[in-house]
Amino acid sequence: MQRRRFLRNLSYAAGSTFVLNNLPFSTVSSAAPLSQLAATSTNDRVLVLIQLHGGNDGLNTIIPIDQYAEYYQLRPNLAIPDKGKRKYIPIDSGLPDANQLGFHPDLTHMKDLYDHGKLNIVQNVAYENSNGSHFRSRDIWFMGGDYDEFLPSGWMGRYLDHIFPGYPESYPNTTMPDPLAIEIGNGVSLAFHRSNGIPVAISISNPEQFYDLINSVGGEPPESIANTHYGKELKWIMDIEEKSNQYAGRLKDVYDAGANSPNVTYPELYPFNAPPGRIRNTLAPQLKMIARLLSGGVKTKIFIARLGGFDTHAEQVESYDATMGTHSALLYHISSAMKAFQDDLKSLGLEDRVMSMTFSEFGRRAFSNGSYGSDHGTAAPMFIFGKMVNPGVLGENPDLSNLDNGNLPVKFDYRQVFTSALVDWLEADTAAVEATLFSDWVDRRLPLVGNGITGLKEEFLKKRNFLTECYPNPVSNQTTFSFRLSSPGKVRLEILDMQGRVVKTILNTNSEAGNFTIPAELGTLNSGTYIYRISSNSLNTSNKLVKL
Amino acid sequence: MASLQPIDPSAPLGRKNAAHLLRRTTFGPSRADIDTFTNLSITQALNTLFNEFPPADPPLDLQTGASWVNPKPTLANSEEGDLMNMTFAWWLELMRLSNNSIIDRMAWFFHTHFATISSRPNNGTAIYYQIKLFRHYAMGNFKELSKKICYDNAMLVNLDGRLNDIGRPNENFAREFFELHTIGKGQPAGPNDYTTFTEADVIESSKVLSGYNVDWDFGNIDQDTGVAMGILRGSGDIASNHDASVKTFSPRFQNTVIQPNALVGDKATKEAALDELDQLVTMIFNQEATARNICRRLYRFFVYYNITEEIEQDIIGPLAQTFMLADYELRPVLEQLFRSTHFYDNDNGIVTDDNRGAIIKSPMEIVLGAMRFFKISIPDQQSDLAGFYAAWFNVIFEKFRNQGLDFYEPYDVSGYDGYFQEPAYNRNWITPNNLARRYQISSDLLIGYKDENDNLLYRLDILSYCQSEGIDLNSPQAIVTYFVTNLFPEAITTERFDYFKSTLLIDVAEADWVAAVINVEDFQVVFHLENLINAMIQSPEYQLF
Repeated sequence: MQRRRFLRNLSYAAGSTFVLNNLPFSTVSSAAPLSQLAATSTNDRVLVLIQLHGGNDGLNTIIPIDQYAEYYQLRPNLAIPDKGKRKYIPIDSGLPDANQLGFHPDLTHMKDLYDHGKLNIVQNVAYENSNGSHFRSRDIWFMGGDYDEFLPSGWMGRYLDHIFPGYPESYPNTTMPDPLAIEIGNGVSLAFHRSNGIPVAISISNPEQFYDLINSVGGEPPESIANTHYGKELKWIMDIEEKSNQYAGRLKDVYDAGANSPNVTYPELYPFNAPPGRIRNTLAPQLKMIARLLSGGVKTKIFIARLGGFDTHAEQVESYDATMGTHSALLYHISSAMKAFQDDLKSLGLEDRVMSMTFSEFGRRAFSNGSYGSDHGTAAPMFIFGKMVNPGVLGENPDLSNLDNGNLPVKFDYRQVFTSALVDWLEADTAAVEATLFSDWVDRRLPLVGNGITGLKEEFLKKRNFLTECYPNPVSNQTTFSFRLSSPGKVRLEILDMQGRVVKTILNTNSEAGNFTIPAELGTLNSGTYIYRISSNSLNTSNKLVKL
Repeated sequence: MASLQPIDPSAPLGRKNAAHLLRRTTFGPSRADIDTFTNLSITQALNTLFNEFPPADPPLDLQTGASWVNPKPTLANSEEGDLMNMTFAWWLELMRLSNNSIIDRMAWFFHTHFATISSRPNNGTAIYYQIKLFRHYAMGNFKELSKKICYDNAMLVNLDGRLNDIGRPNENFAREFFELHTIGKGQPAGPNDYTTFTEADVIESSKVLSGYNVDWDFGNIDQDTGVAMGILRGSGDIASNHDASVKTFSPRFQNTVIQPNALVGDKATKEAALDELDQLVTMIFNQEATARNICRRLYRFFVYYNITEEIEQDIIGPLAQTFMLADYELRPVLEQLFRSTHFYDNDNGIVTDDNRGAIIKSPMEIVLGAMRFFKISIPDQQSDLAGFYAAWFNVIFEKFRNQGLDFYEPYDVSGYDGYFQEPAYNRNWITPNNLARRYQISSDLLIGYKDENDNLLYRLDILSYCQSEGIDLNSPQAIVTYFVTNLFPEAITTERFDYFKSTLLIDVAEADWVAAVINVEDFQVVFHLENLINAMIQSPEYQLF
């Protein structure tokens, strides 16, 4: 049943020579009945959405280095510096010069994920005629409609309603014993609403307490309900109560059966200066709970976690240091929590099953306001995390000299991203996409999902981290080592004999990312064959050299 | 069609209508309140509801035993955060004791509408004055209130109005003033145009609203309301941080131009800046969309959340006309609504669109409603101020919060989801956790709450309650009938009635009730009564009003 995934990714694999079960894929793609089968199957993949509540300032999250002067001029009181200890972190020297980007200095964990091919950044996402209202814009992202559409249901609700027909009456059942979706916290977003009836998600904050609580209250429900306004509300309450009763025990069992990896510590606090209310990492415990539920075997398809505080009209940064304050703390929380989450999933053997993405109702105005803050804007980046993502950056840097009313021009519609997740990750078939009302976006999908099959990720990593053969080789006295690193940190370059003993250390230092050529004098080595080995954050490899 | 045609102005309301009116316009009636209103005409009932209420004495600081708001706390007083919590307790006590007045119901409506996240100002005095402002306008003029809210101290912090100065505009308040507080967002009409207002209007209005600051000395007492207001920055008469340029609004506001009527050099006078605010408010409230938007908010709060096209046309439209004709006085529009056949489902022959019992209670109605119905008392603030605060803090931080209401601390400046978030509105109160916590309130009340020294601060003593109400305890039928008719908004089926009766009887045959329960010890009676109350409050029916 997994074959459908391969079919879908044909376009990304074009030009490659991979074969599936020793069959060239032309054979596979002609096997029409496969897609029929796949349509009724559900895979075990999970989508985690992280809502950045309030409108995240994309320009201070990823800084367009190529236009640093313009960037600085637009927001001198917010700008992340280009020098000093807390300068931006260049993301990827493998990107074209015109699209060079820097991470906020508190996104070190995200840089690490990027370097390991577990992060995709989609630039400038919003929708046509972006709405400056938090509430309306949030509704648009959740409902999955146009700027002028008003739908009473959300895209996740429509999707899950389609693939799990008969909700809520026929659920839980043996194939789907769990809530279709879980929203961490104390409410259910429009995203999970169906056209009629209770939403497909339930919200919980702690499965154990939830179980005890549910079991301590309640009585018999009424048997008959009038078809009146009163009756409709009564039914709503009863349906939620019934689902709560049904899921409480199961979620407790799953939670108890699961465990987080003992080797992973989720972050708790922002280590620098920010207002007291922003120091604590409130995203990390949510992700930790999701990982534990997954390790316990929960079959829930979609999770939403939420981090609030992004509506930074004032005091987005500390007046004395633009790299600290509210926004920095929030970015640190995302970055450090996502790293812990990925590490946890990896350690639990769940990394292949989970893809996560951030979204926010809008970005913020390109120019700052006078209160060390920024007003509502339009486009902003989205971050897609996971082992199976197609790593890299999609889209170009915003053109800061061609703003649209002070706002970043929109390049991608948010539904392109969501539809890609739906089709290429959750493997929604045509009917499911239609039911989600995303048919118009199928042909405009973005290559977000790599699946680890097509080698795109290896290619990504190879392009950014490599050790070339030293020149000349064989070596008489002198040779030059060349390598490229995508991530800064400790680097060691050593020469070992064939017994594995280090006979010479060429380099042992802290290094920036970039291209390096290191000339070396090997005159003192005896003739023979040696290994030269590089150890670093993002590159660990070795090669042979011959000393004449 | 739905209709605002009034009901008979002089006929007695009858029990069902009386109960409905009281449930929607107060924080819940007692049995006696319902009885009283049953025999009143709608005219008499509204006169009672809208009866002028004396201004409340300000809250007392636990540390000093005296008020701190004349004008502001000193070093002898408690910390700001504590003073704020005391202010919440003070207001909740006013709500609990507001009898059959609409005043605090309206003040609560204003808070849900002009929502302030209290941790932003984190100042008990500012919050006290905001509540005082809301109570002042409870039966007053919405337009006036909207103008005052623009430089209310707590709001100036809440939406960054205090940071909005000439040359460094901050649009936060201006945007929400349009969208949340007054005209509302309309159908998106194109780039930066929301039909009712445009992005350009947000920018222009933030210029009008520029130059204000919080007055942490609380010395600027407003003549109309007695409320300490924010101030315009500058010395003497000059509004030095106010943008004195000419502001031109979009065609959505008929290209209105607002500018100072008095300049000193290139600066507006303070009077001129306030006059600009007047003009801005007048411009916004001259639009029918504003009247409609506020009437929709009122309708959702008092009647039902789902506004169909029929309701928009037959109810919202005419109410908005009344509102505009009365220059935004609230009483005419509220009276029209509460007098209407629509409110009591007498406007058409259709019974399925009856709105009685069709709103899901917020935690306010769940908790305060139970306190008021069962006459649960809280320690008196004159004789036991510490007990008084401990009791209310328990309600605020345990009961409300667990049920999904962070009192005066909504997650968002749009207010609590239950009043705002489409499409579910009041249904947002019901999540698995919240629902279970709402159910828990019955056992919480029956067990009661004790402070750390084991003093009982509040408790529902069900036997005393039944005795004081003169309920015939010898008759299970009478007991259940009493609670079903007074606690639930709608009639229930015989089967359902029998279920509740079975929770009273437990394993006792009805014929043996007197011998097996009543004639034994009191604790037996209490045990059975408490079981009934638990079953009734932990029911879907009790969640509605």
